[in-house]
Amino acid sequence: MTDSVRAKPDDSAIVRVRGLTTVLNGKTIFDALDLDIPRGKVTAIMGPSGTGKTTLLKHITGQMRGQAGDVSVDGQNVQALTREQLFELRERIGYLFQNSALLTDFDVFENVAFPLRQHTELPEVLIRNIVLTKLQAVGLRGAARLMPTELSGGMARRVALARAIVFDPMLILYDEPFVGLDPIALNQVLKLIRTLNQTLGITSVLVAHELAAVQQVADHVYLIANGKVVAHGDPKTIASDGSPWTRQFFGGEADGPVPFQYPAGDYATSLGFKGGA
Amino acid sequence: MNAQLARDNIVIRSLSQIGDCALFLLQILAAIPRSLKHSRETIRQLWFVGAMSLIIIMVCGLFVGMVLGLQLYDVLSIFGGTSATGTVVAIAIYRELGPVVTALLFAGRAGTSVTAEIGLMRATDQIAAMEMMAVDPIAYVAVPRFLAGVVAMPLLCCVFCALGIFGGHLVGVSWLGIDNGTFWSNMTATVELVKDVINGVLWKSVVFGAVVSLIAVFQGYTTPPTSEGVAYATTRTVVASSIAILALDFVLTAFLM
Repeated sequence: MTDSVRAKPDDSAIVRVRGLTTVLNGKTIFDALDLDIPRGKVTAIMGPSGTGKTTLLKHITGQMRGQAGDVSVDGQNVQALTREQLFELRERIGYLFQNSALLTDFDVFENVAFPLRQHTELPEVLIRNIVLTKLQAVGLRGAARLMPTELSGGMARRVALARAIVFDPMLILYDEPFVGLDPIALNQVLKLIRTLNQTLGITSVLVAHELAAVQQVADHVYLIANGKVVAHGDPKTIASDGSPWTRQFFGGEADGPVPFQYPAGDYATSLGFKGGA
Repeated sequence: MNAQLARDNIVIRSLSQIGDCALFLLQILAAIPRSLKHSRETIRQLWFVGAMSLIIIMVCGLFVGMVLGLQLYDVLSIFGGTSATGTVVAIAIYRELGPVVTALLFAGRAGTSVTAEIGLMRATDQIAAMEMMAVDPIAYVAVPRFLAGVVAMPLLCCVFCALGIFGGHLVGVSWLGIDNGTFWSNMTATVELVKDVINGVLWKSVVFGAVVSLIAVFQGYTTPPTSEGVAYATTRTVVASSIAILALDFVLTAFLM
């Protein structure tokens, strides 16, 4: 059984998901999912592994389309956009991949300059200034000529962030931005997410598992499980709302609404005992 | 029964792959106008698949020509026709060995690296990152590598043929003592520009370049994003390219003769 918590409709929402249903390889990922991402805020999407958090980001950016429902970004129905319209929309969205996804043939400077070179005819001096400004913002101006293989995980993520904000997007999507970071790098990324949100007014959506980090940076949290929103609200209080989902997820309980055992047939029968249990 | 089903599946899978590859070719052709703004990337790929393959092509061309000269001298001496060595070396290289061996070497040297590179780009989300930056990966990644292969193959084939004939000359004239004037005059009198050089070197190598590049780019682009997937894709590039080159060689020869 799944408890669905309907998000209150938000007129200022930059991302609006309505009745999104997605089935992949026979498994229901989203079951009439509804949620709103408020403009100008930091929203965290949390949930057990394999629950479809990254898949939700892919729906928001039009990399995937659901079987039913609507996903709109800044008033545009993503599922109905042509490829050209989708590319125009993506120029206003930054996306931070979990593994940074830097172009390995290019150094740090060229990675950040890449979107500018592809979409503009700006003079080299201006490109240089924009790139150095973005690298300064993430604290890596001095690493401009390093190759991606020479960067630590935290540095690579900051370079990817500089690349994601090079067009000053309206929306940034962070896919697991805290995974594998040491406490120093984690705090640097947290500070950057908060600073970008406050100084540039960029709406941020982050997919994460780390409640402590989310509590420091997010304004709103959605907890997704079994294809629906099972809880949402203030990150400081959501952990104590008392539902079985929040109790298991934030309490780190091994068993609960998310079962410890992956669905399987009868155990005794699998072991070859006739009759089974 | 099960074996029959498995065979059916292999046939269906192979036909499905050929169909997907043909659709991918249409995507590439449609993206060529969009890729014109990425001409720097095309030149970079031309350097990578063309210039970087020169050494292997030159060395192999030289040795193929030398061994051909040696074998032909041995056989022709039975009939007292060693003066035709240069002619036969040239015709064999222009018509068959030049384009076919160059294409096989090209598939092994450049095709595999293109597949592995694109496969790793997919596995590390670089292709997805381009999509997210509103950069069309077909136009930026696939087309420049495809065009570079189509342009590089005839040039590499010319180099192979030149080195092959030089190798034949080295063995026939410098080592086995065939008269230099006879070697060249017989060759130039017999070799035809259209029938041997244009049909052999140009058309065959352009077609082989397109086919090898298409297979390499397609395999890299559609590989499962895992290390095993990339390894299999690289192997498939060599196997599929080799079969395609030899099969197409027969078809082209039949049409061009």
